[in-house]
Amino acid sequence: MEKQEKQPVLSNREQWQVLKRLMGYIRPHTKAAVFALVLLGLMVLGNVLGPVLIKIFIDDYLTPGTFPAGPLWSLGAAYLIILVLNTVFGYVQLLKFQEIALKIVRQIRIDAFSKVQRLGMRFFDRTPAGGIVSRVTNDTEAILEMFVDVLVGFLQSGFLIAGVYVAMFILNVRLALITLLLLPFIFLIMAVYRKYSSGFYQDLRERLSQLNGKIAESLNGMGMVQAFRQEKRLRKEFGEINEKHYEAGMRNIRLDGLLLRPAVDLVYALGIILLLSYFGITSFSSPVEVGVIYAFVTYIDRFFEPINQVMQRLSIFQQAIVSAQRVFVLMDDPELEPAQPADGSSEIQEGKIEFRDVSFAYDGKNDVLKHITFTANPGETVALVGHTGSGKSSIINLLMRFYEFGRGDILVDGKPIREYPKGELRQKMGLVLQDPFLFYGDIESNIRLFNESVTPADVRAAAEFVQADPFIRKLPDGYRQKVTERGTTFSGGQRQLIAFARTMAADPKILVLDEATANIDTETEAAIQEGLARMRKGRTTIAIAHRLSTIQDAELILVLHQGEIVERGSHRELLAKKGLYYNMYRLQNGILGDEAG
Amino acid sequence: MKVFMQLGWFFKERKKQYIFGILMLIVVAVLQLLPPRIIGFVVDEIRLGELTPGGLGKWLLVLAGAALGMYVLRYYWRIMIFGSSVLLGRQMRERLFRHFTEQSPSFYQQRRVGDLMAHATNDLRAVQMTAGQGVLTLVDSLTTGGAVILAMAFTISWKLTLIALLPMPFMAVLTSWYGRMLHERFRGAQEAFSDLNDKTQESISGIKVIKTFGQEEEDIEDFRRLSADVVDKNVRVAKVDALFDPTISLIVGISFFLSVAFGSRFIVAGEMSVGDLVAFTAYLGLLVWPMLAFGFLFNIVERGRASYGRIMDLLAVEPEVRDVPGAIDRKPGGDLSFDVREFRFPGDGRTALKDVRFELRRGETLGIVGRTGSGKTAILKLLLREFDGYEGLISYGGIPIGDYRKERLREAIGYVPQDHFLFSATIRENIAFTDIDAPIGDVRRAARLAQIDGDILGFADGYETVVGERGVSLSGGQKQRISIARALLMDPELLILDDSLSAVDARTEEAILRSLKAERQGETTIITSHRMSAIQHAHQIIVMDGGTVAEKGTHDELMALRGQYYEMYELQQLEALVEQGGDS
Repeated sequence: MEKQEKQPVLSNREQWQVLKRLMGYIRPHTKAAVFALVLLGLMVLGNVLGPVLIKIFIDDYLTPGTFPAGPLWSLGAAYLIILVLNTVFGYVQLLKFQEIALKIVRQIRIDAFSKVQRLGMRFFDRTPAGGIVSRVTNDTEAILEMFVDVLVGFLQSGFLIAGVYVAMFILNVRLALITLLLLPFIFLIMAVYRKYSSGFYQDLRERLSQLNGKIAESLNGMGMVQAFRQEKRLRKEFGEINEKHYEAGMRNIRLDGLLLRPAVDLVYALGIILLLSYFGITSFSSPVEVGVIYAFVTYIDRFFEPINQVMQRLSIFQQAIVSAQRVFVLMDDPELEPAQPADGSSEIQEGKIEFRDVSFAYDGKNDVLKHITFTANPGETVALVGHTGSGKSSIINLLMRFYEFGRGDILVDGKPIREYPKGELRQKMGLVLQDPFLFYGDIESNIRLFNESVTPADVRAAAEFVQADPFIRKLPDGYRQKVTERGTTFSGGQRQLIAFARTMAADPKILVLDEATANIDTETEAAIQEGLARMRKGRTTIAIAHRLSTIQDAELILVLHQGEIVERGSHRELLAKKGLYYNMYRLQNGILGDEAG
Repeated sequence: MKVFMQLGWFFKERKKQYIFGILMLIVVAVLQLLPPRIIGFVVDEIRLGELTPGGLGKWLLVLAGAALGMYVLRYYWRIMIFGSSVLLGRQMRERLFRHFTEQSPSFYQQRRVGDLMAHATNDLRAVQMTAGQGVLTLVDSLTTGGAVILAMAFTISWKLTLIALLPMPFMAVLTSWYGRMLHERFRGAQEAFSDLNDKTQESISGIKVIKTFGQEEEDIEDFRRLSADVVDKNVRVAKVDALFDPTISLIVGISFFLSVAFGSRFIVAGEMSVGDLVAFTAYLGLLVWPMLAFGFLFNIVERGRASYGRIMDLLAVEPEVRDVPGAIDRKPGGDLSFDVREFRFPGDGRTALKDVRFELRRGETLGIVGRTGSGKTAILKLLLREFDGYEGLISYGGIPIGDYRKERLREAIGYVPQDHFLFSATIRENIAFTDIDAPIGDVRRAARLAQIDGDILGFADGYETVVGERGVSLSGGQKQRISIARALLMDPELLILDDSLSAVDARTEEAILRSLKAERQGETTIITSHRMSAIQHAHQIIVMDGGTVAEKGTHDELMALRGQYYEMYELQQLEALVEQGGDS
């Protein structure tokens, strides 16, 4: 029971490509980045100059024992000024880099989210919502971490190391060359650490996610586990995963202990040994300036701090590249929503809908709709009835352009539906879903739904129109009543009414209704029926009806069975046929005999 | 610091590791003092021209020895202290998990899985951090800090030490002030992030509505706004966060300046040497970390204490249903008698069951029908002993079920719940749930009885197909049949099917019922169902309504009664007809 999402292993080339694509996001921030880089350069310069000043002081004044007031004051002042400027530069530079990183990640997020909005329903059918959310938020967060901690850290360390070396070369070329000997050791440690840590670290993360996955699954399935008294086995399995996680943790501690700070500190000691040997040996033949020793000791000190930091961040880097890769895969997903012309001028005037011999399969193999043909004249209601899986919802899915269809044609006002611009379709066709989805916000925002042109008065008018106003006004905060996640504080009927009002606020020409199957409290039932009747007036309506009583006045009723229209006609005609519709009707009205009519 | 006391039991358990680890830390703190001191000596000897090759060699050897020693010690204290903290995490996690497995359903009804998860992840991490990082920062800041200051004061100059340390308290004060600011701003940033997360979640769940109203652009705009808010809140964090490094360098820089300025005066006055000064400044560099660590310590400890408290509170919850002392350690069997005068679910004022009585002889089948919420499931939950607090008596084989050990009672019952739950594992593992090593022949026999064998063989990996969140998705009917096979594998004396045929079609249902009847001769079965066809052949049928028995009898008796049962039965006959798309 421990099969978990394995992380893809990226080759160096793929990693490089992902990194390059990430770097492309820096372009709009070139100016800010250059500014921050300049500050960073100045800061490094200051960092390097400080020890030089102290060196001058030690060698020119302290060792000979001469203390002229003037030069000393200026030396001291210079040191303090550099110190303060450095602090300011350091601060601004750090902040700038973080800001740039944050803005880059914001752009990546917006790009990913916008892409998701343009994907077709097929994509959402095959991709769990949790996965999409985690691409847009968590994976991008990992990218942020990389920009802030890794890249900026690399940059700062690189600059500082370069600066330190330049200064050392200026002070004493031979000694600087000797200190270059330290670099291979550091690169070696880095290479070894990187080699093992990426595997170890990833292993640790996978173990942790296994562990947490196991806890989550066990908590969700605890009823089952207890009913079958498998607690012991589960604890054993958990214990094993827990142990593996512990071992992975220990492996990481050992690796970090062997190769991180302790190892870098060891190289540091080597550096000091090199320095002292050099000065010591030189001193046997010629005098040595003590200030230079001081400066070099300080430089070696400063040289190692950034190395320690960079090493610790190496493992984050790999993780972030994997995350970035996942985000980019989402951004490149080809499953786009059905295309509509962007600039077409076609307008829906009448609201006449025609299905002409439409057949459709979600998977390309099993047709869920077979040769569907019908016409809904302007202002008329066409009701779709049938059992679950009969194809009612698929008709609506095609009409709403959630899915692209291949065979047959759908015409609106005599023109193929594909020729209308998306905006026109969305504006003129209103869909009321079976399970009305409410968004976090308040009632007014849910009725208006981002549409700024809808005034509070329009909202109220729409609510009144569908009979939602009375219940809304009874709420403590009225139209400002908060709607929490999914609107669970409202009853099914109330949510339905709000969704009606939302549709009416948009005032569509064509109404597509997917009637609620959920139990609706008797209190709102009457209001809903009344609201529905009013909404349909003057609008072409395609309605899925679960309760046949609500569509008795429809001009045309289509009875679907396994994707085919098996009966069609008015309520009266269909009852007279004594077929499927007749039986459904009897069933719903609890009429057992043959006395329906 | 109270949390260190609370974790005392663990420190005692790992006494050896902690004592050795701390000793090593102390030795490292002392060894660390050597390099700066040696640099100082060498500088002085060079300046005075007293350095000899032998002397230099000696110093370098000492340096190399100290460095190697520190390397080894630094490695081992990490193993000792950090290793112990990882072990603590493992132990606490194990305890929590065991605790979870012992809790009754009411525990899970009152809590959200997400909350429980938070205890097992975030809180646990904070406690682990306290036992590792917390101990380290405490010991290290005291020993290194103390050792460095002592070395500066006693081997170089206590006056200069005082002067150089003057700015240091500012660093502690400033960083702890930043820390608090950061904490508060960080919360803001996290809230903004969680808003963004919610927004994304909501947009994706409501994607159909958004598409319907053509609100994609507006929704993206809203997302853009929230992303900008995330940036703003994080910049607020960065504004404080970016203060740390510059502040530290500023204060350390001032310290350096003071040391050099005043140190020079002492040198001129003959109170110390140039080498002393070089060593002194190197010591100052060593002081930065302990100062910072002290600031971190408070954060770590504070979080650890809160988290440890939360975990302990959770661990203190007693399971609701427990075995009575001296409970019967035998698998029950025989006739079943159910007599409950009244039962309410804990924390729910409404009566769930009222005056429900029935007797079921071994080998009989009982059918229970009724609308949702009529009390069908409550009866089963009491039989399974998920709840104890009812008025009345339920006995199995003439002995109250409360007298058996819970585990033994459940050994006799094969339960197929309404909301079938499959684990992320192979189909075989899901069916062989009670006996993971069951031979594949037994697994297949159970699957055949549940009419799912054919479906399973149709999958690419057959019985080794992984199901659940990361595996293939099964239809509701397939999941139900796997759940049934799972219960059948254990060959229970009492099989309970809680509306577990709802998602299979009529023909499959009939086949399952037929095979159950043939295979389970002499065993007891209880079936609840919305569908009459599932129970109409039962020896006894009870019709539940509003938590009480409305009608009781055999199918024929109930049909003759022409009451609720009759009505439901007739309607469903019609429904079956409609489902098949037929006309009368």
